[in-house]
Amino acid sequence: MIQNYFLIFWRNMARNKVYAAINIIGLAIGLASCILIYLYVQHELSYDTYFSKHERVYRVVNDLIVEDEVEKASVTHAALAPALAADFPEIEAAVRMINRGKQVLRLDDKAITIDYTFWADSNYFQIFDYRLLEGDPKTALLEPNSVVLSTDVATKFFGNSSDALFSTMRVGSQSYKVTGVFEPVDGAHMKPNVLTSFSTIPADIRQGMGGNWGNTNSYTYVLLQHASDGAALQAKLPDFVQSRIAPARGNTTERMELQLQALTDIHLNTDYLWEAFPVGKKSYIYIFSFVGVFILLIASINYMNLATARSAKRAKEVGLRKVVGANRSQLVTQFLSESVMLTLLAVLLALMLVELMLPTFNSLADKQISSTYFTDPDFLLLLLAIALFIGLVAGSYPALVLSHFKPVDILKTGKTQAGGGALLRKGLVVLQFTISLVLIIGTAVVYSQMHYLKSQDLGFTKEQVLVVDIPSGDTTIVSKMPVMKSELTKNPNITSATTSAMIPGQSTGVIIFNVERDKQMVEKTFNTIWVDYEFLDLMNIPLLAGRNFSKDMSTDLQYGIIVNESAARAMGWEEPIGKRIGGSDTTRAKVIGMVKDFNYTSLHNQIEPLVIMLGPENNGYLMARISPGNLEQTLAHVESTWRRLAPSHPMDYFFLDDSFNEQYRAEEKMLTIFGYFTLLTILIACMGLFGLAAFTAEQRTKEIGIRKVLGSSVTGIVVLLTKDFALLVCLAILIASPIAWYGMWHWLQDFAYRTPISAWVFIASGLVALGIAIFTVSFKATRAAMEDPVRALRTE
Amino acid sequence: MSKEDFIIETQQLEKKYITDTVETTALAGVDLRIAKGEFVAVMGPSGCGKSTLLNILGLLDSPSGGSFRFLGQDISHASERQRAKIRKHNLGFVFQSFNLIDELTVEENIGLPLAYLGIPRAETEKRVKEAMERMGIAHRHAHFPQQLSGGQQQRVAIARATVSNPSLILADEPTGNLDSVHGREVMSLLSELNDAGTTVVMVTHSPSDAEYAHRIVNLFDGQIVTESLNARKHAAELL
Repeated sequence: MIQNYFLIFWRNMARNKVYAAINIIGLAIGLASCILIYLYVQHELSYDTYFSKHERVYRVVNDLIVEDEVEKASVTHAALAPALAADFPEIEAAVRMINRGKQVLRLDDKAITIDYTFWADSNYFQIFDYRLLEGDPKTALLEPNSVVLSTDVATKFFGNSSDALFSTMRVGSQSYKVTGVFEPVDGAHMKPNVLTSFSTIPADIRQGMGGNWGNTNSYTYVLLQHASDGAALQAKLPDFVQSRIAPARGNTTERMELQLQALTDIHLNTDYLWEAFPVGKKSYIYIFSFVGVFILLIASINYMNLATARSAKRAKEVGLRKVVGANRSQLVTQFLSESVMLTLLAVLLALMLVELMLPTFNSLADKQISSTYFTDPDFLLLLLAIALFIGLVAGSYPALVLSHFKPVDILKTGKTQAGGGALLRKGLVVLQFTISLVLIIGTAVVYSQMHYLKSQDLGFTKEQVLVVDIPSGDTTIVSKMPVMKSELTKNPNITSATTSAMIPGQSTGVIIFNVERDKQMVEKTFNTIWVDYEFLDLMNIPLLAGRNFSKDMSTDLQYGIIVNESAARAMGWEEPIGKRIGGSDTTRAKVIGMVKDFNYTSLHNQIEPLVIMLGPENNGYLMARISPGNLEQTLAHVESTWRRLAPSHPMDYFFLDDSFNEQYRAEEKMLTIFGYFTLLTILIACMGLFGLAAFTAEQRTKEIGIRKVLGSSVTGIVVLLTKDFALLVCLAILIASPIAWYGMWHWLQDFAYRTPISAWVFIASGLVALGIAIFTVSFKATRAAMEDPVRALRTE
Repeated sequence: MSKEDFIIETQQLEKKYITDTVETTALAGVDLRIAKGEFVAVMGPSGCGKSTLLNILGLLDSPSGGSFRFLGQDISHASERQRAKIRKHNLGFVFQSFNLIDELTVEENIGLPLAYLGIPRAETEKRVKEAMERMGIAHRHAHFPQQLSGGQQQRVAIARATVSNPSLILADEPTGNLDSVHGREVMSLLSELNDAGTTVVMVTHSPSDAEYAHRIVNLFDGQIVTESLNARKHAAELL
């Protein structure tokens, strides 16, 4: 009997290729999208689970509270890890990582700038058990001047990892021995390329790090004896701060709270500053999961709708099977097994699609999801379960409807009660288009927000600014900067050059100042940047009061402070110039100027109070404002100047606007992926609509024939057939608009600067959906209307 | 004749169709007995209830009133499952419009009732082959219905109706869609089956087809108005 079902299924498909294609391709696209989303979500949710002890690993983070402001810092003091390990027996190991940023690595003549280099304690691999292709994880970071490379870096220098071991290379200005090569892990919140042994840092500096607990620069991780120790340890931390840290910090109103953050929580549940790598967003996980479910739903609805709509075609077969003795349950089984067979075919096709789309998806989502899921029994089982579920659910309604037919009605009159279900079909079409429209509107709002962000006046000119990385810690190069600046500006295409410690779009420093307020001195934390004399001019940041830093004022270097408007407002200064503000010595440090507010982080955030200090020696970036045109020539000049003055370091440059826009990369990525999935959703929904239109045209053949005999034009017929569907889409527009508005309103709350959601977004999205729907339906309707009326009547 | 000799017995059989506003009586108290091995033709004008009667006799429809015994068993109130069981074991249907499944080949169509009876494959193949040979369509075994002429399709339908050796064949205007030559062929086949012992009940408009029956039942407005024995048939059988 199963063989018989299979035969019928196969021949039905072969005979109705269009329907079969709509069903299988639609479902396959839906399933493929869903699988990709599943893999993405799974990947996001499984961050750091690669490490075998992940359940016992916590990161210690810092809440710094001054008055009622909380500064949440992902970095802590370098002294914290050893202190915690010494005080708490439940801590099996504690490890520090300090970000060294970009470093130039050098092997013989080969020099490459590598980002994401870290100092790490010797027990690093005890907590993060990366697979070491070379070297011993226990000892690799033990000795001073040891470096462990990721396979990517090792390959860049050595061609393969085995040649790297025990080679000597330079990292920055020092010489290191390669003691290990590890395989990087994509699903980890820290993705170091290079790890250098903490013991390399000279003992006196290390001692200093532990000194006053004032300098936070270390990521601190602890490995607990038992995963359940977390809460108990957390409870002990306030006392620890009180007894170990507070005395060393002396008299300060700043309060510190240490928090334990589970390793696996870091990627998605963090809102801490100074993360070394971009973190994920939980909301995107939800959004994508919804999109995945919706796409699958739409594809399943297609199957249901087409199957019930076409039930009339199968009615005769049902009648006959009943006549020759089939009972209802046998028929239900037959139709359900057909639907499951179809779903399984769709699954096979979907897996092929996933294989094809995965590389593109990876590059869109910036992930390295591999197709090893094929060997994951859980995944395959889940897939099978989904296929069965969709097969059964999507097939259940048609199966029940079809098996319910009365043979007498069908065989005698050829008619069935299959007209029923029309309302359900319409409802499902409305649901499909509602979902599609929500996605269209969502995409449109995300797009307009991105456009809004990029076109916002940031308060400074980010275009045409070339930025060159200054290798950190290389005092020789730093000392050459004044010459470098003047050499650069010799080129007529370079209007000015400066250096600074940070560039807009990056995290700033956070410093506790003693500040004058109401004639008293209070403690207050401020975001702080260190810049060079030309910074404000180069960036076109206008001064509202006072003056810029000046080389003629020798006191500026130590005591000159420029604030932004927000800082003045926050301190309640009506006349900011001359107000006292400084570190320990506040007798002479004063506000010398106030600049107009500019967006120095991103438009996700409101502009916060900012202190600008002069620090030409404390710089990480060389910036040059260049004229448009002659870019190649200008770059050549910058490069030759760099080579001449800093021959030991390759020049590593980028453009400020690119790096500033990098912050919206998460949103941009989402927009692109969202856009693709929206397209797929509409495609699948339209495939279904096409099928239904074909069915309606077929069903109304006689009516079309009669109308044409009576004088209706082709247009009249097309309008007749299209009208009903258009009405359904209009209804969907009405339902989708408020849902989409609400959803997008929520999404926009994440931005301090938001585009208004204009009515045009809804009107345009509605028109797009309506247009696509009408095009789809009228394509089929026109063909039906062009038919010879006599044929239509005869077939009836 | 004893009760056991009747395959069908109806008493005051009624069928009413009720719509929102109108009640239509299709059958109004039909008393009919059909003996095993009989060939009965049901005649009457359009809308007199012939097909309704045939559908009820074929357990495709249920009566609104009266009693209906099939092989001595009262099945007026049988469930759909019971009726499906009786259909599959005892009944064969032949329709005016052949009603073959387009997606199945000739042999698959014929084998379908055996599949629902759970007959093993080898046995099915054997019986399907025999049925095709009997109907003269063996050479068309792999064809699909739409590749056959009307007469051939009806022979496939008869083969399908008889492959499970049913005790009763119900034929609803079996020659209605055929030309006279093919019509005669089909009637001969039914007659042969009847000669071999199968009871046949046939609804027809055609007096010449009715000539093949032992007995002609005339329906009018849902009632049996006349019943006549077919003298020629009886005479032929006596000869």
